[in-house]
Amino acid sequence: MNTLAPLQRARAGLDSCVHCGFCLPACPTYLALEDENDSPRGRLLLMGALLDGSVNPDDPAVRRHLDQCLGCRGCETACPSGVPYGQLLEATRESLVTHRPLPLVARLVLRLFATEWALRSVLAIARLIRWSGIAALLARLLPARLAMPFAMLASSARPAPASYDARGDGARGTVSLLTGCVMEGLFTDVNRATERTLTVNGWKMRVTADQRCCGALHAHAGDAVMARALARANIAAFERSGAEVVVLNSAGCGAMCREYGHLLADDSAWADRATAFGAKVRDVHQLLASAGPAVRAGADERHPRLGTPVATRVAYDAPCHLQHAQRIVDAPLAVLQAVSGINLVPLADSDQCCGSAGIFNLLLPDVAERVLAPKLSRIVESGAEIVATGNPGCLMQIGGGLCLSGSAVTTRHPVELLDETYARAERPR
Amino acid sequence: MTSLAAQLGRIVGDAHVIARATQLLVYRSDALPGLQRAPARAVFPGTRDELIEVVRVLAAAGAPFVSRGAGTGLSGGALADDITLLGLHRLKRILALDPIARTATVEPGVVNAALTRAGAPHRLHYAPDPSSQTACTIGGNIAENAGGPHCLKYGVTLDHAIRATVVLPSGEVVILDRGDVARDDGTQGGYDLLGAFVGSEGCFGVVVDVTVRLTPDPERVCTLLADFTRVRDAADATSRIIAAGIMPAALELMDQPTIEAVESSVYAAGYPRDAAAVLLIEVDGAAAGLDDDVWAVERLCRAAGARTVRVAHDAAERARLWLGRKKAFGAMGRVAPHLVVQDAVVPRSMLAELLDDIAAIGDRHRVRICNVFHAGDGNLHPNIPYNAHNADESARVHAAMTEIMTRCIAAGGTITGEHGVGLDKLPYMEQLFTADTLDAMCSLRAVFDPERRANPGKVVPVRACREWHGVASTRHGARAGETR
Repeated sequence: MNTLAPLQRARAGLDSCVHCGFCLPACPTYLALEDENDSPRGRLLLMGALLDGSVNPDDPAVRRHLDQCLGCRGCETACPSGVPYGQLLEATRESLVTHRPLPLVARLVLRLFATEWALRSVLAIARLIRWSGIAALLARLLPARLAMPFAMLASSARPAPASYDARGDGARGTVSLLTGCVMEGLFTDVNRATERTLTVNGWKMRVTADQRCCGALHAHAGDAVMARALARANIAAFERSGAEVVVLNSAGCGAMCREYGHLLADDSAWADRATAFGAKVRDVHQLLASAGPAVRAGADERHPRLGTPVATRVAYDAPCHLQHAQRIVDAPLAVLQAVSGINLVPLADSDQCCGSAGIFNLLLPDVAERVLAPKLSRIVESGAEIVATGNPGCLMQIGGGLCLSGSAVTTRHPVELLDETYARAERPR
Repeated sequence: MTSLAAQLGRIVGDAHVIARATQLLVYRSDALPGLQRAPARAVFPGTRDELIEVVRVLAAAGAPFVSRGAGTGLSGGALADDITLLGLHRLKRILALDPIARTATVEPGVVNAALTRAGAPHRLHYAPDPSSQTACTIGGNIAENAGGPHCLKYGVTLDHAIRATVVLPSGEVVILDRGDVARDDGTQGGYDLLGAFVGSEGCFGVVVDVTVRLTPDPERVCTLLADFTRVRDAADATSRIIAAGIMPAALELMDQPTIEAVESSVYAAGYPRDAAAVLLIEVDGAAAGLDDDVWAVERLCRAAGARTVRVAHDAAERARLWLGRKKAFGAMGRVAPHLVVQDAVVPRSMLAELLDDIAAIGDRHRVRICNVFHAGDGNLHPNIPYNAHNADESARVHAAMTEIMTRCIAAGGTITGEHGVGLDKLPYMEQLFTADTLDAMCSLRAVFDPERRANPGKVVPVRACREWHGVASTRHGARAGETR
């Protein structure tokens, strides 16, 4: 059996690379590790070498360079030839896991995300550790490497949730939120804010039962079998709920859901359903921005009478899977511009990865830390008080990094900030 | 005796020395993957002192080496054939930026576009803008005397280099300047040694740092896109514009196959897909009087047969038009997996005729030629996308390229405008230069690198050097003294 079959099927994508090197400055691991083997051009070359047999799939150096890819896909928006790098990486990892299983930690985490009751329990315990203050305490006391997971958890705590009676005419259509594992487990308030802001802007929310993890973590790590199983479950669940639009507020999950068609392309029973599902997927910022005038009018009409809002400096950091994978660049900025009273400050290199990348920061904390370091410096230089970003991994990686560095800057989802604006507008003076 | 890799590892740290074959694969080529040479080892110094120490260790071992920046070169210039590859990409600090003097001092691994970004708050930019500027390094630009679209008006790399600290292959550190400004010790004058160094393709030494000029952003910029139904007409418009005494900041031509590749990419710029060719013309300078130039360019294009002439109405549209042009080379990957790129310079007045001839050569060899080039200075870039796994097609592509180059030389042109000779164009050198001239080049090199250890086997064919006769090849000659 040819264990490289998945990569073999994706081979045409490799042939588009002309070696121009334009991807190098777009690659966070090349910038951090300074070796072209840790660049898109280098990794594509290693993939080609795996296929033509000139390198061995068991070569530890080869595996390390491929493992060290964040999968941020920043190279895709830099590549003039349109090399489908993300698909090639996943095909490579799928091929390599047949040679050597994933590390134990990775297997445990992936299994956890695919097992509903266990995931729910673990997230409940995590909330307890966060609520009790233990997370924040350990983040302070433990040495940096061990402290990071607790700092990340502590940073996911939200301020008191906004409360107001969200009303809308529902005229824009019916949408259903893919709630997501970490979003619903640790960022529950962001999910509720998502529902309220969409309602205010004219969407009718519908709940979809029996949702599962989107499978992104599994697909990125090479566990395509599990990713496909989860995808099928979600497709079926959303078909049952009859939602016209599937909305997500997590960039990583959104990118995965859009690509269900590719993931299940070889499954004749599901390929068409998967493609249809992918076509219904929207990021929450897209929906809010498309409501355009409603968002702005809402903000404008409601706010001038509110007194002087606190002028908070907010910087937007683009989640890679929003900017590079879904190519959504302007919509989150439009949402932030609709938030009254904030001063949007530019963040240099906001299109560069923060090093979160799913479970990457658990598996390769050293590399993740080196990728995060310049991000934290740029944030400090920007003078922002809040970093807004629309992905749970990024919220926690940047949040945890800021927490450990002793910074007072916090991370928020853009939708939370909009939600607070609406809440303030409702509040009597 | 410890191995050379171990000695180098002691200087830069073992993580920054590569000696395993699988990890050296990516360092076998630059942006012209048709040419490959396997280095024996690669070393990446991270500081100025490490760089100098590495060169000294190589000198003590008598070991030849090749410098490399980002590997975006297009002539195989940075290939190391079983010798040491000296990667300079970690040396990426901007050491000083003086907005008053309008200069910057940078390490060799600083990316060209990063320098322009650093100048932006002061309304300054680094003028030489090779199409690979988002990735290529200033050190590589110095080695190749890189050009770019805007060099038509603003000059090439040499025109912007003021002073360089260079470590010679012997390990000696020297400062090279152009003899035109007073030095720290009050002296001035002498030969333009920096002029000799810039464009020496890594054969004279390694840049430790270089001071370059920054150029004030023009008060106003106007970018026009003219499209034509015949390539010839576009070439004709070029000649008319220059003949009218207008000095555009840039004047670029792209033909239909190139337009098609760009428009299918993420860098789609809105070039009309049905045009035989487009001209991208930029005029800039003081706001007063610029409209006259824009109007004149538009009129001249129409007179030459332009179908439409459109003026970019804002900075975003201008950026999009340029991005399409600059990424055109990379976009060729959409046409076929492999690519040969050429870089001939011909008299501008002969552009139309030569483009016809190039098209005829392409037809005869049944290859698809994509032209994207600096029309304003007659710097042609015929690119041929092909599949290298097809032996017959490869043979036809290379036959066509050789014929194109021979035709350009016969027209009074030369073989490189900005990509350098490297390995790729070595065979044409004897066609272009007399034995005496090649010999003089060898003598000049001997001043900087008498042992011929820096980038051996490039630029001047060894057999052309009389004093070197008897040396079968640099690689062979050097190996005797190399510690392995």
